Amino acid sequence: MTPNPCRETSRVVRARGVSHSFGIGALERQVLFAVDFYLDPGEVVILTGPSGSGKTTLLTLIAALRTLREGELTVLGCDVRHALAKERIELRRRIGFVFQRHNLLGFLTARQNVELMFQLHPDVSRREARARAETMLARVGLSDHRNHPPDQLSVGQQQRVAVARALVSAPRLILADEPTASLDGLSGRNVVELLLEVARDNDCSVLMVTHDARVLDAAHRIVHIEDGAIQS
Amino acid sequence: MNTALGLAWRQLSHQPAKLLAASAGVVVAVMLMLVQLGIREGAVRNSVAFAGRLTADLVVISPTSDTIFRSTQFPRRLLYRLPADPAVITVSEVYMGQAQWKNPWLGIEHPISVYGLHPDRAKVDLPGLGQIHGLERADRFVFDALSRTNYGPVIASLDEHGPFYTEVNGRRVQIVDAVAVGVSIAVDGNIYGTPANFMRLFPSRHAGAIDLGLVQVVDGADLHAVRARLEPMLGPEARILTKDQLLEHEIAFLRSNAPVDFIFGMGTVVGFFIGFVVVYQILYTEVSHHLPQLATLKATGFTDRYLLRLVVWQALMLSCLGYVPGFLLALGLYRIAESQIQMPFAMTPERALGVGVATVLMCCFSAGVAVRRAWQADPAEVF
Repeated sequence: MTPNPCRETSRVVRARGVSHSFGIGALERQVLFAVDFYLDPGEVVILTGPSGSGKTTLLTLIAALRTLREGELTVLGCDVRHALAKERIELRRRIGFVFQRHNLLGFLTARQNVELMFQLHPDVSRREARARAETMLARVGLSDHRNHPPDQLSVGQQQRVAVARALVSAPRLILADEPTASLDGLSGRNVVELLLEVARDNDCSVLMVTHDARVLDAAHRIVHIEDGAIQS
Repeated sequence: MNTALGLAWRQLSHQPAKLLAASAGVVVAVMLMLVQLGIREGAVRNSVAFAGRLTADLVVISPTSDTIFRSTQFPRRLLYRLPADPAVITVSEVYMGQAQWKNPWLGIEHPISVYGLHPDRAKVDLPGLGQIHGLERADRFVFDALSRTNYGPVIASLDEHGPFYTEVNGRRVQIVDAVAVGVSIAVDGNIYGTPANFMRLFPSRHAGAIDLGLVQVVDGADLHAVRARLEPMLGPEARILTKDQLLEHEIAFLRSNAPVDFIFGMGTVVGFFIGFVVVYQILYTEVSHHLPQLATLKATGFTDRYLLRLVVWQALMLSCLGYVPGFLLALGLYRIAESQIQMPFAMTPERALGVGVATVLMCCFSAGVAVRRAWQADPAEVF
């Protein structure tokens, strides 16, 4: 797996020798061992591995949610290790997140939950924000439900709202952490297909952590982590 | 919905019952603060009502008096030295004492303050007293219309039947009319008469020993300079103050000697803390309840400052929602207090504004404490 130097600069994610530990002193436990990893524009990579293998840790490091102490990591052109707190927040605003649990705000309608993301992009007008939220909800098939609060939607519909929320501000990178965990087989498959479809339309890279064997065929590449090291 | 404001309002108004409970907490706090401060101010202001009505430029009191309500006497002859100064126009004396009023309807005695002064020249603003004729005739007095009800239906009786007789200090006197001056926490009622009639009620008092000397000086004179000139003329047996000094002195004495400030100040602080605790509880529950969502917002790039704005906006909304009804309720309670303790309470703009600021501070302070829970939420834990 020799990285192509020509594509090097345009890579969405590039990690070299990334290690990470939790705890300090005698309790220190290393979870990632010199991980090398890359993600190209438009590429869909699925990260698999048993629980505790370090895949979620890698995801949070890429999301600049944890402080990187060892190794090099560049995400969307941002040197995560040396970035200031403010720059890391800026970086996160350019990433779309889909979590295991949708965590939608119960006091907002589906559309308002999606539209809320534009508060991070003050350059987008209110009218445009609303239009883009409605378009994205239509894209995930929830036009008729856009004015419903989350508790009036099924679990699958809620996760589709979460997908719309992640994609609405047209990010270059989607980080998804077991997005099918709370869904049954069919709706899980549907949500993932929808996510990948919309991502492909927008030329957006996707890094997805999942154990779900039914969705593996959707990836361009599958990376397997075990005991904090990449196996394939 | 492009700001934290809109989001704050949606979160707050999502559960109207909760919003109502939170606002009710602020209402109680605002009302408590306004009422406690109002009574505190009213009690002090009313207690110095007589001193406040003095129109004399300078006032002479005994150096051993700590307040004119519990004055000791000084020799009247000292007062007559003062017109030697060219700036002094007139001097007049006031006698004060506590007597027993017999409620003529019930036959029960109740203490009353008696003032002896010259209605025509005493420099006191007692509205209408100058127009009442025949006060110089023996045993005639004017009743204070703001006296408490312990003295009987005096005003109604005056209105319906005119002057009537009762007993003060065991002596038959005629109450000819009423003027509205005011009572205090220490004094339930007043009657006003001439010095001669005052002496008739207090046979043991000597006319040469007076409680208050009122001095009027020429217009435009420098009061402090005149006061400084007059002081040596009085010698060590009397003390001379400007009217403002006397008022300050009276208020300072009340503040330090009556527990008014402490009791009602304490009530105000309690109101503030009730509001703080209620608003904090509501906001904290709201934040805790939405912790995973708030952590998600943080993970997607919302800042701690945005979350602070969100909670502070909610706090400000609660302050406004609580302040208006709290203010109106306090006004209502002022009216009730007026009819129950017969002291006028006025809502001053300073107090309304001060309590408004305190309410906003109280809510923002609660928000500041409650938001820390959201700040501690680790966005990495959402994964």
